[in-house]
Amino acid sequence: MRLIVDGQPIAFDPGDTLLVAMLRADLHPTGGGCLCLGGDCPHCLATVDGVAYVRTCQVAAKPGQVVERQHQAGYPPLPETHRPGPTVIARNRHCDVVVIGAGEAGRAAAVEAEAAGKQVLVLEAKDGQEVVGIYHGPLVVARTNEGMLHVHAREEVIVATGAAEIQPVAPGSDLAGLVTARAAGQLAAAGIDLGRVVAVGTPPDGVEAAAVEGELVRFEGQGQVEAVVIRGADGREQRVECDTVSLGLGFHPRDALRRMGRDWRVRAVGDAAHESDIPPCPAAGIVCPCSGVSVEDLDFIWAQGFHELELVKRATLAGTGTCQGSVCLPYVRSFLADRGQVLQPPFTARPVTRQLTLGEIAAGAHHQATPRTALDGEHRRLGAQMERIGGWWRPWNYGHVLEEYWAVREAVSIGDVSTLGKMIVSGPDTLELLERLYPTNVATIKPGRSRYVLLLDERGYVLDDGLICKETDTRYTLTFTSGGSSHAEMWVRDWAASWGLDVRLLNQTMTLGAINVTGPLANDLLDRAGLTDRPPYMGYARGVVAGVECQVFRLSFTGELSYELHHPAQDSVRLWRALLELGADLGLKPHGIEALLKLRLEKGHIIVGQDTAFDSTPRRIAHEWAVKLSKPEFVGRQAIIRTNKLPLDKQLVGFEMDGPAPIEGAVIWHNGQFAGHVTSSTWSPVLGQAVMLGWLYFFDGELPAVVTIDNRPARRVETPFYDKEARHARA
Amino acid sequence: MPELKRLPATRIVATPAALDAAKWPDGTLALRLASDELLVTPPVANPALDDPHAIIIADAGYAGVWLPEAEALAFLERACEWELPVQRPAFAQGAVAGIAAKLWFEAGRVLLIVPAPLIADFEERMA
Repeated sequence: MRLIVDGQPIAFDPGDTLLVAMLRADLHPTGGGCLCLGGDCPHCLATVDGVAYVRTCQVAAKPGQVVERQHQAGYPPLPETHRPGPTVIARNRHCDVVVIGAGEAGRAAAVEAEAAGKQVLVLEAKDGQEVVGIYHGPLVVARTNEGMLHVHAREEVIVATGAAEIQPVAPGSDLAGLVTARAAGQLAAAGIDLGRVVAVGTPPDGVEAAAVEGELVRFEGQGQVEAVVIRGADGREQRVECDTVSLGLGFHPRDALRRMGRDWRVRAVGDAAHESDIPPCPAAGIVCPCSGVSVEDLDFIWAQGFHELELVKRATLAGTGTCQGSVCLPYVRSFLADRGQVLQPPFTARPVTRQLTLGEIAAGAHHQATPRTALDGEHRRLGAQMERIGGWWRPWNYGHVLEEYWAVREAVSIGDVSTLGKMIVSGPDTLELLERLYPTNVATIKPGRSRYVLLLDERGYVLDDGLICKETDTRYTLTFTSGGSSHAEMWVRDWAASWGLDVRLLNQTMTLGAINVTGPLANDLLDRAGLTDRPPYMGYARGVVAGVECQVFRLSFTGELSYELHHPAQDSVRLWRALLELGADLGLKPHGIEALLKLRLEKGHIIVGQDTAFDSTPRRIAHEWAVKLSKPEFVGRQAIIRTNKLPLDKQLVGFEMDGPAPIEGAVIWHNGQFAGHVTSSTWSPVLGQAVMLGWLYFFDGELPAVVTIDNRPARRVETPFYDKEARHARA
Repeated sequence: MPELKRLPATRIVATPAALDAAKWPDGTLALRLASDELLVTPPVANPALDDPHAIIIADAGYAGVWLPEAEALAFLERACEWELPVQRPAFAQGAVAGIAAKLWFEAGRVLLIVPAPLIADFEERMA
């Protein structure tokens, strides 16, 4: 059986790990560095079948595997492909107790928990369940051959991952031929010829080795170790020639998982719970091979005043690399104890402990789903360019924005406004709720009538806008903006609950579709569709349109005669198609959002969130007419009374200018000084000039009459820009 | 791939006491979405409720699909981070594949319900 390493086939024996197979072929995965065979060090990494940072000591060799060695001094190249990697699934499991590690301590912990009647799940890396992180929950995330495993522990997580061997830090520690004592024993057992072995510290089991005693000074060799130099108790250096150095320097707990879960119900048992051996403070050499941090680097940082372990970690990046401190942590602690005379606790650990692919990281995660109206398929069938707007997929245009625009201004058009927030409020305290919530006199709205309203927060800032429609004294319909409806619903529910009012609330945004019929020929179209008894301006009625039962609201966002037809969403397609057919010879064209934005801006209608900022009061957006301070109470009233006493510093105003429309967000200048910015901007076909809304600051108590936008003069004008007397909308 | 269809239903918001006391015809599924809200499918005409201010509307704003229990559980194992009920029947609500979903478990089958505007996303995530 053979696998491919750096383009060359090499033979391997059954049961070999990739690392053993490479060592059999006299290949060190990273060129050098002390091998541990325990998955702890960064010295056996390779790219395996296209996946980088694979610990080859933990992976079984398979025929045909393609391995690219990853030299310790560099990084693996980024994959040269634009194809996404394979999708990785995440499976979820739930149990009382998760035990990580099936060694002696782990098995004992599992038996104990099971005896206590707990549902236990044991995860063992050797069985293909490699735990890579613990998150709030606690949630244990493991990598398996079938994808990621997310285990949710009801009670606790027990870390039984054993201990890692301490690596050497001395000049020459990047040579090949260095192995930990446990690794030496495993390699010998696998039949790897280690040559002349010298044992520093605890000797390996089952390996014939010459033991040396004393302080490790350096390793010597060119790529491959040729000798180890030890300083004896008498201070004399001893040079011992060898092919392999076995290093038994002590142990430190593999407790990164416990440390990352220390705020949750996570504990360690067995060797993972033991205190770390602390090696002598190194005199020279690389302490952190992952980040290339040397003893000299630590000295420099110490001299700069970084004496605390967490700060040293951040200042040097020691402990933040591939092995997450498995090699360097005992030495950095030893260094700081030597310099500061205090042994500091280990630094924090955070997920993940292993290098994961993007697919593994993304497993089980989903992007925010974007809802589609019932007419989504109709828009796409008509060739609409669909965009995410206000949290929904909506038609930006159908390919001919000016034709859509003129259909509204001169003929008739339909638009999908199903995305508007729609809520029913019912109950004996409904009027009280609405009076407290809204700054308008709700009591003066008559049945069958609706009113444009602002929704304010406690500071008097505009949260949202919409309509209040009165059905009966105890039942109203509210509408909100598309993007603001979820927040508005929570707002209404929270206040209703806070005030303890007896109301019922039902969000019917996804239950109802809504089609806006707009244009001077809207009545002709509705006549043909059978709706002859239509509500007056700002009126509201029920009716049947083209065989579909509708709630009909007469209002206007476009500035033309308009009706919103709210109807069961399952009838949207039928109603839409019927209106398209009935209006074909009236010049009917559906309009998208691009045309709608032009139309509404010509009328000076604001869009909350686009034309408003977080601190927009009704006065700042010139909507004081929508606020009745004579009311004794409503959310935001006190703030408005207070801020009304302050001089107005800025206001949302209209501008017009010749030439093309500047971009939205363009800076407004006055006499060379910053004066505000444009919030909405469009070229107005009907007016033949650019029109804008924008925030304008006061200068010496006055709003400038002429400003500079896009290096051109712009005139401040009253809104609306189009049909100032609202004759079209009220026709 | 399972195809979700709009679920004809009646949605009711009323006092919890009125909902507790209400009776539903055999064969209807009355899912308690909240203490004051019910989704009843198939729709019921003029339900008797002891709440004069109850909101009762015909509703097809949700979409659903029945799946064999094994198939549903296999999907939910990878799509659902929260713990599913083991008793039957049972009703549960929460994020499934990142989408707010409602689950009705019966012996041998499961009804998956999501907001109808998210049918396409949910079907894609089930695939």
